Amino acid sequence: MSSKQLSDKPERISIGAYFELFMNLTRREVKGRYSQSLFGAGWAIAQPLATMAVFTLVFARLGKMPSGGAPYPLFAYAALVPWFFFSNSVMSGTMSLVTYRNIVTKTYFPREIVPLAQVGSRLVDITAASGLYVLLMVYYQLAVTPWAALIPLFMLMLVLFTVGVTLATSAINVFYRDVNPVVQIGLQLWLYLTPVAYPLEAVENYRWFFLLNPLTGVVEGLRAVLVFGREPEWGVVAISAGLIVSIFIGALILFKSTDKYFADVI
Amino acid sequence: MSIAIQLENVTKRYRTGRSRTIVDLVASSVADMRGQTTEVHSATRGKIDATIHALRDVSFEVKEGAGLGIIGRNGAGKTTLLKMISRVTWPTSGTVRVAGHVVSLIELGAGFHPELTGRENVYLGAGLFGLTRKEIDRQFDAIVSFADVERLIDTPMKRYSSGLYARLGFSVAIHSNPDIVLVDEVLSVGDASFRRRAMEALRSLISSGKTVLFISHDMWNVRRLCSDILWMENGSVRAYGEAGAIAETYMNEVNLQAMQNQATSLQSHRGGTGEVRFEHVDLYNANGAPSATFAQNDTLVIRGSYMASKAVESPVFQVAIVDIDTGVVVTTASTAGRNAATTVQGPGEIEIRFAQLPLRPRQYVLRLSITDAFQLASYDVVTAGPRFAITGQGAGVDSLADEQDGLVTLPFDVAHRPPIKHRLSTD
Repeated sequence: MSSKQLSDKPERISIGAYFELFMNLTRREVKGRYSQSLFGAGWAIAQPLATMAVFTLVFARLGKMPSGGAPYPLFAYAALVPWFFFSNSVMSGTMSLVTYRNIVTKTYFPREIVPLAQVGSRLVDITAASGLYVLLMVYYQLAVTPWAALIPLFMLMLVLFTVGVTLATSAINVFYRDVNPVVQIGLQLWLYLTPVAYPLEAVENYRWFFLLNPLTGVVEGLRAVLVFGREPEWGVVAISAGLIVSIFIGALILFKSTDKYFADVI
Repeated sequence: MSIAIQLENVTKRYRTGRSRTIVDLVASSVADMRGQTTEVHSATRGKIDATIHALRDVSFEVKEGAGLGIIGRNGAGKTTLLKMISRVTWPTSGTVRVAGHVVSLIELGAGFHPELTGRENVYLGAGLFGLTRKEIDRQFDAIVSFADVERLIDTPMKRYSSGLYARLGFSVAIHSNPDIVLVDEVLSVGDASFRRRAMEALRSLISSGKTVLFISHDMWNVRRLCSDILWMENGSVRAYGEAGAIAETYMNEVNLQAMQNQATSLQSHRGGTGEVRFEHVDLYNANGAPSATFAQNDTLVIRGSYMASKAVESPVFQVAIVDIDTGVVVTTASTAGRNAATTVQGPGEIEIRFAQLPLRPRQYVLRLSITDAFQLASYDVVTAGPRFAITGQGAGVDSLADEQDGLVTLPFDVAHRPPIKHRLSTD
């Protein structure tokens, strides 16, 4: 299973074993979250659904927010699902290393598995919530166009960005617990600074500010290919993709250069 | 034999105290600007920036297949050492080299989740030790049967007792194909039969060529399992080598320190009505010199001076030798033999002499009391009297550890005879 040569590096264990550990921790998260709850995984749908209802009332009915011709509930829901994937992952991911301190301080394994499992467990939620999206499409009698084939691209961007942010916040939170409240407040504001409740065109004057937010490209892109069934704005997607890749690499470097000290300070 | 673990000049410093707050950061930068190098005290959380050396310049090697006991006081750096070898923490300077798969039992069942069943936790826990699903499948029955949890394997672990929890944790760890096993005082949980099986399992790991590092304060278990001992003191290696000699030095020193620290007064946990009270109780050896350590089968003389504030008829003086860990070994009373005291008044002295102490090398405390003739009313009760230790003799500690179990040493002979035929079968 491992080479028996003296080495000052951690022993190398097969990727397969660590992938299974990731799966197990993910399963543990999901089970822990939904066991002894009557509604179970239904809660994964309730959150975007309820927010969609409120947004429809506030933005569409009262605020007369344009939704580019698409039914507003669908327009909002298509963005709320990826948003909650991101925000829930980051929220629990930030505290994850501290929550798992008993294994982090007692056994060796690649530490990134812990925050990754938080993101992984939210993949279950996003799958359930996407199921409801399909039902909404049927209800509103919207056709699926070939552009829907780009969904994996936007999902990849979403996951990569979420992992990047979670790695960074979880690592820094080990040293400074201030990260957690900052993240909680930040996420609340971030929702309104992302074109979730409104389209990017509605904030055309501040376009460059919104383009600095990598989620803009993800949300706008997903909405283009799913709700409107048209080509995404490639410029916006490219900017977001570039930001996401750099943030991911930066976060990975930050995480791997600090993880030696986790057990000492946690 | 190749080397399994190698430490070279390993030093580990920790910063004590809590993490800094913004206020501390401002305070320390102000202090820096003024050129002050004094220790900064946090405005909110006490002293910061003080460092402690958990390990200082530690170097040693462990051969593959060795059983190494790690001993020393609390805070000597034993656990830090194991955490370094298991890569949970990293040295501040120096190198730690390890060959093979390390499994650490610093806490049993650390990775378990109470909401999951025993079965799911086996996969989770073994996964933490780097096993794949297939490998766990192969080991699953062995893991479950060693832990003896067949009945509850599909029950959430929050319903398990803590002993069962630990048993499953231990079982998962030793079935994770380790080359090196790190054990940190974890065998104190669980019942006696589990402890025995755990020791057996560790012993068979060693005999099958695995390396086992074993932290324990229980010198008997260390001696039973380990051929070598690493003695840590204040973050440095005090001694490293053959187990027998080091264990003996260590025990003698621990006992001596315990003797020196003991309060000379007899006041703690003092009871009784007070008509007669002990004033001094002292221990002497065969030569009449005051002593607190005795070799096995030495003579122990207990001399107690007492004061009777009024006339007391035939008081009974009792002395019990109590093993600090396990309880009373022997009690004796002045009526039990000759020389029962008649009426006493004013000062007096009593001497109790044990011509031989067939006791095992451990720590003992004397419990003394003075009662009335019927041993119904207590005039004086000294619960924690003088302490003494029996020190190990070369021959005693070097012999097989199993022969050193128990409380007393009894002379015995062994004879081998031809088997006797069963009487029933001849009918």
